Amino acid sequence: MHIDVKKEIRESGPGKTGLIILLLMIGMAVLAPVLSPYNPYQQSTASLLPPSLNHWLGMNHVGQDIWSQLVYGARTSLLVGFGVGIFSTLLGTVFGVSAALVGGLYEKIVMRIVDAFIVIPMIIVVILISAYIRPGIATLILLLSLLSWQGGARVMRAQALSLKERGHVAAARSFGANRFYIAWRHIVPDLGPILLVDFIYGVRRAVFMEAGLAFLGISDPTVVSWGMMMRDALSFSYLNVWQWWLVPAGVALSLTIIGLTFVGHAAEPVLEPRLRGVEIA
Amino acid sequence: MLEIKNLQVSYGQEVILNGIDLKLEPGETLAIVGESGTGKTTLGLSIMRLVEGTIRGEIRFNGKNLLSLPDSEMQRVRWSRIAMAFQNANNVLNPVYTVLNQIMEPMIEHRLKSREEARDKARELLRYFGLQENRFAAYPHQISGGEQQRVLLAMAMSNNPELLILDEPLSSLDAASRAEVASLLKETDKHRTRLVATHDLDTAGKLADRMVVLYGGKIVESGPIRDMLSKPRHPYTRALIRAYPNMTTVKDLQGIKGMMTRPVSGCPFHPRCTQAIDICSQEVPELLPVSHGREVACHRGGIITLLSTGNLSKSFGSIKAVDSVDLHIEAGETLALVGQTGSGKTTLAKTIMGLHQPTGGTVYLEGEKVENRGKDFFGKVQMVFQNPGESLSHRLSVLEAVTEPLEIQETGTKEDRENKAIQVLGEVELPQTRDFLNKYPHHLSGGEMQRVTIARALVLDPALLIADEPTAFLDASVQAKILKLLLNLQEQRGLSLLYITHDIAAARKVSDRIAVMLDGRIIEEGPSNEIVATPKQDYTRRLLNATRI
Repeated sequence: MHIDVKKEIRESGPGKTGLIILLLMIGMAVLAPVLSPYNPYQQSTASLLPPSLNHWLGMNHVGQDIWSQLVYGARTSLLVGFGVGIFSTLLGTVFGVSAALVGGLYEKIVMRIVDAFIVIPMIIVVILISAYIRPGIATLILLLSLLSWQGGARVMRAQALSLKERGHVAAARSFGANRFYIAWRHIVPDLGPILLVDFIYGVRRAVFMEAGLAFLGISDPTVVSWGMMMRDALSFSYLNVWQWWLVPAGVALSLTIIGLTFVGHAAEPVLEPRLRGVEIA
Repeated sequence: MLEIKNLQVSYGQEVILNGIDLKLEPGETLAIVGESGTGKTTLGLSIMRLVEGTIRGEIRFNGKNLLSLPDSEMQRVRWSRIAMAFQNANNVLNPVYTVLNQIMEPMIEHRLKSREEARDKARELLRYFGLQENRFAAYPHQISGGEQQRVLLAMAMSNNPELLILDEPLSSLDAASRAEVASLLKETDKHRTRLVATHDLDTAGKLADRMVVLYGGKIVESGPIRDMLSKPRHPYTRALIRAYPNMTTVKDLQGIKGMMTRPVSGCPFHPRCTQAIDICSQEVPELLPVSHGREVACHRGGIITLLSTGNLSKSFGSIKAVDSVDLHIEAGETLALVGQTGSGKTTLAKTIMGLHQPTGGTVYLEGEKVENRGKDFFGKVQMVFQNPGESLSHRLSVLEAVTEPLEIQETGTKEDRENKAIQVLGEVELPQTRDFLNKYPHHLSGGEMQRVTIARALVLDPALLIADEPTAFLDASVQAKILKLLLNLQEQRGLSLLYITHDIAAARKVSDRIAVMLDGRIIEEGPSNEIVATPKQDYTRRLLNATRI
């Protein structure tokens, strides 16, 4: 039976909402240069200005246009999010599926590594490492990916273990197919929905982590980010700048995470056994 | 007595008999067996020197080469010392003589007897062959075909020949008279040397001591007849036996793939053979001894063992799913593996296929140990799985599914692969339309899906097909169709089948041999008719009783 994940998402109310929010955010990130007339890094003497026709959300403490920062912040946030989503899902798939298909000692080693990572609270590790190396976007993507593929790998392995017992996999083996062919043609396509969910949750986690690290001030300070905007805004909380500085950044971040959650939630039913005999571990 | 050396007979360009070597001991009856058109009658006529074509070689009768005898001398040998009863009674009997006169004639002509003696002898012979007295004065067209045949036999015997050649001697008799005449020939006339040319294994079995199987003008197998009928060594002999109905046959009758064609380079049977290899189409195999009194003309030494297992075992933890199994499957035969659920049948099949690692023992393919299963192995052995819905990926269309094995084996171009797949789909009687090719498994019925999986297994042109409960998920009428299809495929392609089932009734209809499996062991194995008629194990009896309605 073919399951159309896109259809599942489109037909669920929250799913649709989430998808719209995400599309808006992506649109904002992609069209950033069009949407914002100013360079978000350009400092000026006009600091802490309230919103005006020229500066829709006013200016921050070093005279940067807050609207431009908000728009460019979406780029950082989504770039990190999607980057980590892709890499961690990829790593999870490679390790999970290979562990299931190869088995033996290799499987044991991979799965113990996964267990080890899962018991360590990731956020603490990320904070510690970031505090030392002050990661840029690329480093941050790499760091978060390396620390977040393990959960997915576990699910993928469980699923691949069940899939590899399928008749059509046995049939392919009886035609002389090697493990790579089986993984590529018979296992991974059937992991599709799980990959999608794993990916979406990976993105969500990364967006949140990126904002968190920037908020703590331990990411690259030269990169515009919603987390950093919120941090800066908080230090001027005694003024009423929070209305146009803190709130928009917070709302943008929350909306992004809510959008991802909605989409992920809507995609989840496709993993249910009633549809496929597939279960999420 | 009679010795034929390198006999070659041709009509114009067409070679009918090619290099026949035969020896006949005094008192022996030799059956010459083969399909119509293999040259049986020509052989008889050659000995009589009645053949119209060119004869080369030697036919020695008591040391004298008949072929170099002057006509006058041959005239004396013919009918008095070597006589022949022809196949086509109607054409042989002279319509203007009465039955009695027909028989008297050769005796008188050869001046062996006086008219009176000849009449008495003729009467005696006709009575002997069971012709009623009131028919003696009849003309040939006034008596039935069976009676004509009796007359012919009497005629051939009239001069008490040393060598009697019988061409389809019983073919126009009904079953009861056939048995009667056969016993006359066999019992009361057993010291005569006879050559029986027949396509009828029953006649051969009733009359002969030894059998020679002719195909395409060559001897392909010879040996003691009982031995040959119970254990044929040449694929053609087996095919003949398989095609012949008798009361012990439980399997459906099967023809032989293709048609006899002449001329053929190499082994005459190779276009229809179940185990032909390259050399078979290039060189003519010699008739070589294989075991006591048996000779086979086959480059592969007779029917080969395609796949066998030696002590094959597979355990899951402490459970011995397959326990020291020795099994062999000959090229072109069907072996049914019968046993209840959980007896280890599927595990055995999967272990043979390499889907399970054996815990012990070996698999041999064509006598060679199977170590790493590669293209060689999978190109020869393929499997059809139990549940067609499961064994087809729901993501692959019919065309994609059927081309998959070719793609894995990287055979040919994409177009070649698709053409091959379409051709095989035709073989399994599925539509070859674009519309059907693009269908997904969930658009197909159970029977269609199983046909697709069969096509997929056949697309690599395997020699052995392992069918694991291929009809378990299908209703009885579809099951019948699939089993028929498997049998047809076996006939067309000369496939070997390992048919796995819990249903001994179905096994009996499709298999040559049955192996019964219980708790991972083969407890009983033998020809299907014997297993079904006289099971030795209680368990087999239980299986049989369970299928009786």
